[in-house]
Amino acid sequence: MILGHPVRLGVAAAAFLLFALIPAGFDVGLKFDAALSLVWAFGILSIVLLTGYVGQVSLCQATFAGVGAYAAGMMFNTFHAGYVVGIVVGVLAAFALGVVVGLPALRLRGITLAIVTLAIALVFDKYVFQDHIFDWFTGGSGGWRVDGADLLGLRTDSSNHLLAGYEVLLALFVLVALLMVNLHQSGAGRRFRAIRDSELAASTTGVNLTRYKLLAFGLSAGIAGLGGSFYPLIAGSVSPQPFWVFTSLQLSAIAVLMGVRYVPAAALGGFFMAFVPDILTRYGHGTFMGHSYDISYDWFSLALGALLIVQLILLPDGVWGDLHAHAARAMAAVRVRTQRRVRVA
Amino acid sequence: MTMLRVRDIYVRFGGVVALDRVSIDLNRGEILGLIGPNGAGKTTLFNCISGVVQPDAGRIIFDGRSLRRVPPHERARRGIARTFQNLQLWNSMTLLENLAVPMDALGRRSTIADALGNPLSRFAERATMQRARAILHVLDLDTHASSLAGDLPAGIQRRAEIARALAMRPKLILLDEPAAGLDAGETKRLADLLNAVRERFHVSMLLVDHDMSLVMRVCDYMYVLDFGKILAQGRPAEIRGDRKVIAAYLGEPSAEVAAVEPDGASQAVIASADRNDGARALPTGAPLLGVKGLAAGYGPLEVIRDVNLLVRPAEIVACIGANGAGKTTTLRAISGIVKPRAGRVFFGGRDVTGRTPERIAGMGLAHIPEGRGLFPRMSVEDTLLLASDNTGQRVDPGVAYDVFPRLKQRRRQAVGTLSGGEQQMVALARALLARPRLVMVDEMSQGLAPTIVKQLFEMLSVLRSKGIAVLLVEQFVESALDVADRAYIFEHGTISHEAPAAELRTDRKLISGSYLGTAVDDLAADPVEANGNGHRADLELMEVLALKVPPSVKRAIEERATREGRSAGAIALELLEGVKQ
Repeated sequence: MILGHPVRLGVAAAAFLLFALIPAGFDVGLKFDAALSLVWAFGILSIVLLTGYVGQVSLCQATFAGVGAYAAGMMFNTFHAGYVVGIVVGVLAAFALGVVVGLPALRLRGITLAIVTLAIALVFDKYVFQDHIFDWFTGGSGGWRVDGADLLGLRTDSSNHLLAGYEVLLALFVLVALLMVNLHQSGAGRRFRAIRDSELAASTTGVNLTRYKLLAFGLSAGIAGLGGSFYPLIAGSVSPQPFWVFTSLQLSAIAVLMGVRYVPAAALGGFFMAFVPDILTRYGHGTFMGHSYDISYDWFSLALGALLIVQLILLPDGVWGDLHAHAARAMAAVRVRTQRRVRVA
Repeated sequence: MTMLRVRDIYVRFGGVVALDRVSIDLNRGEILGLIGPNGAGKTTLFNCISGVVQPDAGRIIFDGRSLRRVPPHERARRGIARTFQNLQLWNSMTLLENLAVPMDALGRRSTIADALGNPLSRFAERATMQRARAILHVLDLDTHASSLAGDLPAGIQRRAEIARALAMRPKLILLDEPAAGLDAGETKRLADLLNAVRERFHVSMLLVDHDMSLVMRVCDYMYVLDFGKILAQGRPAEIRGDRKVIAAYLGEPSAEVAAVEPDGASQAVIASADRNDGARALPTGAPLLGVKGLAAGYGPLEVIRDVNLLVRPAEIVACIGANGAGKTTTLRAISGIVKPRAGRVFFGGRDVTGRTPERIAGMGLAHIPEGRGLFPRMSVEDTLLLASDNTGQRVDPGVAYDVFPRLKQRRRQAVGTLSGGEQQMVALARALLARPRLVMVDEMSQGLAPTIVKQLFEMLSVLRSKGIAVLLVEQFVESALDVADRAYIFEHGTISHEAPAAELRTDRKLISGSYLGTAVDDLAADPVEANGNGHRADLELMEVLALKVPPSVKRAIEERATREGRSAGAIALELLEGVKQ
């Protein structure tokens, strides 16, 4: 049985079918949000792998996504390659950068590693994505425009065929999420988790720290890059703004908010990150008791900070982690109670 | 034949020489003991052998091959396993997974195949889990197989660390203080377990432990490290009688006592009567500090249990005993740094159990922790003035300068630039200025030269003359007993003996027993099979696991095991039965 446990496969298929149908009735704006939510879900999934599984801190996950996006845009515009090639190159470029960023992680950990990765995010934001030296990579100040691209014959235009792009992205997300759950329960996953819990014990029991830390950084960056490489397709163009430093921080914050050790939390987080600010800015203005108000994007950051504080106190394992545990406990309690009733009867 | 050859290992950390040309040899199948006081360099030697620390000079040869520049994980693959003093299981993983990590880290499995969950990877997975279960079974840990390692009690975690080491199919296991935190019965069972494991798995072991009852019981040969050098080596019985070793553990016997040692107690008491009022009448009256049935620990570790002690006003009481016996934790539980799990602490007639450290300190209890708790960049005078913030009234550093004139010369100097002895004086002076009724000092003499230590101990009697009681934890037993009125001997997390200091000064055997072990004498009394704790060492299964079976046979057994849904060990046992008949 390839791809692991049949139950996991069933859950994945059900999740795909459920989410595939939802955005059908949305307007273009919300359809875009739906596709964007998957791009960010990939970003959070990459944090689940790197931080949740392996315990390494990185504050430059949006940079990896950005590298994926620009690489895909460049392949499409400069080399006139099919968009599939663009995606593959985007993932590979992100993977390579991830391995390089992983090098300092061989020596550093915790706060110092966080600072180093933050510096990398800053450098890429200011001196790669926005600098003229790298115009060949970023397409200049206008960025790359992606029109009329197709994925293996499937039209996935930014506006008219957004839904098709969403479906492909969703299928890929479900697949990668499934692979990650498999990985968690397998030998390599155990080695990753061993590094998280005690590097000292891991190295003295035969786990090659260099290899597995670099692999983790590479895989994580590749996952973020996979999401990012779809960005030009769904947005129609690519600019530095979505991949700046603050997005990296936001991805990390939302990953912690939703539960950094859990794969489903990535989907939850992506949804939260794409939909909530858009809905806030769209409907969040008017008048209330004579005062006119306007909830801008800044309010989203503020609310995120407040939510994070509440979550760290009430749900220390993240929204998904704790609610999932509560639900499991409640189910068990119900099961015990029904059994008792049967016995009494 | 020699399996591990360590030659002239030299390690320095900054200005401190941790290991100074240390050489040891370990034969195949041998359990080698390594003992020595705190900071002697035992763990550093372990780290050099397992590759966590690179020695500055010297060679380590394992199985005829040099280990120079071999990374830790490669050493693990060559057959060196280790356990850790401060429990390093992977806490968020189940016990079974903890054993599986070294198993499949040794085999080479592909990450991609694992993520895809292909059939080959799933087969390997089943085989791994089965072997892990077999080892857990042998060490009688199967009931905990799917508990998270971090949730298990410390005794179980210690055994699990040994199981994880065995999962690597090692040739050599380095055991770093496996008996730390275990009580006497558990230590005895651990000794039995180690003997059984050595017999059945054919592994050699290098054992570091402060618990001499364990070391004496299981080691074939031992080395004694002191200040990074080999002080002595020999069979356990020889080591136990070695005067150099006893001195390293207890400090040199004071001259007078040494002179009269052969003849008995009475003379010694007289000899010590004229110095430091050693034989003065023991204080009586209402106790200042009372501890009843105290228990405390860290996480799953219960370090002390059922500790009862009293300190009266203007009395110096010493806590002595081997490392890890629970002395420091007792002080911490009294001053509120560690929350007591059971029992009561009374101070000055009031129940202070569970109060915050600052409130207890405010009542007149000063705790000088190990390492002194100073702020290295603050000047001496500022440090002393800090005491006024604690008491609420302005203090006069002059009072402290009267007692410690040397500090007056250095009062503008940063504390971090002072010598160790002077730093200890600052700590004492600060405690003194807070006008305490009781001062607790932890390992005052650690890392200090003997002359300084002598001066510091004289300071303690000055405190006593000011009506302040002192409770001290000390490695230099002789110096501590010189100044103390009474002493408590700690063993395995509880108090095993209480006596006036004068009595203990003459009865060196009692103390050296608590450090160097007396338990060896009753070794013959208990056979290996008599394992308490519900622990059955499944000797037959150990035999099976240790067999070097050709891969084809092993595969056949594993296939049959999956077909019949039983453990491979059970099938192997059945086959062996068939062969016997």
